[in-house]
Amino acid sequence: MASRHGQKKEKPESPEVLKAKQDKEAVLLREYLDLKDSLKEIVDSKKRDNDALRITTSLLRKSPDYYTIWNVRRIILKEGFLQNADDETANKIYNSELEFVQENLKLNPKSYYMWNHRRWCLEHMSQPRWDRELAMVSKFLEMDARNFHGWDYRRYIIKQLDLKDGEATDKVLERVQSEFEFTTTKISQNFSNYSAWHNRSTLLGKLAENMTEKEREATVETEFDLVKNAIYTDPEDQSAWLYELWLIGREERKISVLGASVISFHPLEIVVAFDETVKVDNAFTVSTRVDHVAVPLEGEWRATGSDSSMGSVWIFQQAPGAQYGPTIEILIFPDDVCAVRAGSSLPSAVCFELETLNQSFEDISGRLGRLVVGKNLMYDVTKRIGPVRGPDGSLETQETTPKHRVTSLTWSELLQDRVALLEREIAVVRELIEIEPDCKWPIQILSTLLSELRKTVSIESTKAKILDDECIELQEKLISIDPLRQERYEDRRTQLVFDRETLKLIKDSKKATEIEFADRFTPDLDLSMRGLTHIPMSSYFVHLHTLNLDSNAIKSTRFIRNLLNVRRLILSNNLIERLEGLQHAPSLEYLTLENNMIAKWEDVVAGFVFWREGKLGRTGGHVKVLLGSNPVVENEGGEYVLEKRWEEVGEVGIEIQWQSEELRLAEDALEAAGNDISSGTTYTEGARRVSTTAVEFAAGVSQ
Amino acid sequence: MSILNNNPAAVDASAPELLLDQHVKYIQALDTKKNDLEYWLTEHLRVNGLYWGATALQILGHPEALDQDQIVEYLVKCQHDNGGFGGHIDHDPHILSTLSAVQVLITYDRLDAINVDKVVDYIISLQNEDGSFSGDSWGEVDTRFVFCAVMCLNLLKRLDDKRLDIPKTIEYIVRCRNFDGGFGSSPGGESHAAQVYVCVGTLTILGALNHVDADQLGWWLSERQLKNGGLNGRPEKLEDVCYSWWVLSSLSMLRRSHWIDSEKLTKFILESQDTETGGIADRPGNMPDVFHTNFGICGLSLLGYPGLVAVDPVYCMPRHVIQRIGLTDKH
Repeated sequence: MASRHGQKKEKPESPEVLKAKQDKEAVLLREYLDLKDSLKEIVDSKKRDNDALRITTSLLRKSPDYYTIWNVRRIILKEGFLQNADDETANKIYNSELEFVQENLKLNPKSYYMWNHRRWCLEHMSQPRWDRELAMVSKFLEMDARNFHGWDYRRYIIKQLDLKDGEATDKVLERVQSEFEFTTTKISQNFSNYSAWHNRSTLLGKLAENMTEKEREATVETEFDLVKNAIYTDPEDQSAWLYELWLIGREERKISVLGASVISFHPLEIVVAFDETVKVDNAFTVSTRVDHVAVPLEGEWRATGSDSSMGSVWIFQQAPGAQYGPTIEILIFPDDVCAVRAGSSLPSAVCFELETLNQSFEDISGRLGRLVVGKNLMYDVTKRIGPVRGPDGSLETQETTPKHRVTSLTWSELLQDRVALLEREIAVVRELIEIEPDCKWPIQILSTLLSELRKTVSIESTKAKILDDECIELQEKLISIDPLRQERYEDRRTQLVFDRETLKLIKDSKKATEIEFADRFTPDLDLSMRGLTHIPMSSYFVHLHTLNLDSNAIKSTRFIRNLLNVRRLILSNNLIERLEGLQHAPSLEYLTLENNMIAKWEDVVAGFVFWREGKLGRTGGHVKVLLGSNPVVENEGGEYVLEKRWEEVGEVGIEIQWQSEELRLAEDALEAAGNDISSGTTYTEGARRVSTTAVEFAAGVSQ
Repeated sequence: MSILNNNPAAVDASAPELLLDQHVKYIQALDTKKNDLEYWLTEHLRVNGLYWGATALQILGHPEALDQDQIVEYLVKCQHDNGGFGGHIDHDPHILSTLSAVQVLITYDRLDAINVDKVVDYIISLQNEDGSFSGDSWGEVDTRFVFCAVMCLNLLKRLDDKRLDIPKTIEYIVRCRNFDGGFGSSPGGESHAAQVYVCVGTLTILGALNHVDADQLGWWLSERQLKNGGLNGRPEKLEDVCYSWWVLSSLSMLRRSHWIDSEKLTKFILESQDTETGGIADRPGNMPDVFHTNFGICGLSLLGYPGLVAVDPVYCMPRHVIQRIGLTDKH
């Protein structure tokens, strides 16, 4: 059989029983094949009589999902029986079809085609009895309260009834109310009826729209009471918890623009960092003042990384030959960006003004002082103000609204006092945890509630810290009681720890954006031994010079693509299998990858295949990568220091050299003694020396 | 370049072995059961069955176990004048069998055997005003059919067809999103792991995953794993091997496949093998079938089971085939 569910394998039978079974089956098979022959005859001869219909009936009883037969049957009805039938006769025919379906639905409640046929009949009847259908499906849901065909059909009937009533909104609303009560009944019969909870969620919003503030508050009480009843009855049942999660809702996330800075003057390159991954729909407007007139500056925006269409860090590179004045303005409007995570949007336009007079750094290597953080001005959300040229050359004001706002399914935003609601629910869940300390659902929900509460306070407040600390503890508890989903809790924990540990890099913003880069520049960050599984938001790191991630559980190095200024990166003692993103870290000089899981040479080289022919990188750069205690060292011949060199701009030559332990120690000693070994001398040893171009490397890399 | 999984996963020592040879034989024997009534009662699924069987064999590393020329010849006979394929010869065209046929023909690199333009015409003809797709000319609507259409057009490199309304397609899928972050079969329909797979798959192909809250949906999906390691399709329902595919591929597209315990799931799938006949059942102790055999094996491939050919989480076809036709994976 092509697909069977829940059919138990039977014990082997005695030869006699088996023989009898086979004989019986042979008879049935003959019957079936005869019927099929007759079907072919009907199709060929276009017979539209009782005989034809009877044959489809017999076949469908045996094979209800044989969709072609349902099609043949409908054609027989349409072109035969219904052809010249008056209303009464037609109704009779449709009603007997409904009976046929109903009788078979009892045997095959999950047959898509059966439910379809029923719809087809009703849609073709002059006076379909939808009320009768509603009664029928209610009965049906008594037999199997979770059959989604039944629930789908029920919603379909309601929709048909609503369509019939058209403008009569009171009737429609009445129906919403009675359907809502139907879910109450179903849930009260069995709290585990997730189908009913689901349907309730589709109805509650509609009801709430028409409520007064008072009614709404009363509804909140009854909804949370219902959930409370359910979770106290069986705290392990996820149905009510998932509904509770929805009731609590989530504050809509807002995208923040953390800052903008110039990273190169010749050619002009500007970087803009966001606090989440975004796609750019309209290129951000870049303008400069030439002779006191704002003129658009031509150029191209792209995200860092191999997929330049999305990212949290965006780089603008001016078009060749474009001129710019002492100040540059960057304007980002709400409809310019689209968040990759659902539900977040840029709440208002932001503008950065960057100075270009003091060009204190020579090249784009990112020496100290190269940052020019722009002034963050307030802009009107509703208006696209900026130096956008109109057809006559004048500057225009353009109206915009954020188009990527995802309609929130949450109804709780209609409520007045969110903090009070959160605190009350926190108390309820805490009480349950006291009774059931090892049940994971209340702990998960508590963690969600606390995270929501944190969004209502300043990120720098003591309260935020207390909430974060408790959430981190809760994840640790979850890891211990629910090992199946351990890595999810670890990811969540990573996010929380990351937020706590990066506080000195960002600050609360009073301007158009919620957070932005801190005023004080932090060159070094130590995140070693924090149990991090990944780097949740690497755009925070664009300005860092040294980053220590030693002894974490990091698997991917993709985040390196945003470390535009980092020189020293410590990634030893992690779980990295493959080096990625290195080509986008133009300032990197020293990378420690000791004791990771890199097993193949190609997984190291992949990290060096670079992007846009290395134009963003420094020329003559020199990267040292330490690979000790990786399987690759063993596999590739016992050598483990790797160096990279970009020969010149435009030339994609890479030279990679291994070195032995001995040489490395000698180098370390030299370095410790204060000698600069990264410029000039290189120590080469070993049997292999690879020198090739990016193109050749790319071809050699397994995807 | 190896077509095998790059980094094979560790397998629990107490888990049964993969009965690779037996599964190959099981699939080979499917078309010899003409004395069984079952064989004829499931005739309408023959083309789908071919896709399941052929794909499972590809992933098992035995593409030669079926006669490919014979299959291509058969599939050609299932195509109708309007371009659509039926579930079997003389069966009416339907989008489900059309996708299966196209998947098999692409796997065998034999698109030359059919009229591709007509397939495209057929699929486009099924798009409705609201962006949804019907399964056939009789008009049943389901998010499964949207995925069939989008995947099929993409496999045929015809997603740029001007007659296709992509924004409306995305809009329709978004309308099927629910309070729990999952997706149903139509607007208002309850979230179900298989519908989640088709909706997330559609959005992945159309580059519109920004409509999915990956953390929320990833959470819901990870809660599908039960204590025995198996996955269910909806809260408070039983586990089933086919959800290994629907849930895991969705998590994979959302880059969160590590949010479930892969060792336990691997063990569950292996325990659902039929040690006598080969093939995999929906759960341990039940009768095997080709549908569960395929999704069990594809699930194992996605889990990194050693020795299996890598499967693509969006198309449920061998990854090397997807790479051969130049569909770079953005997922």
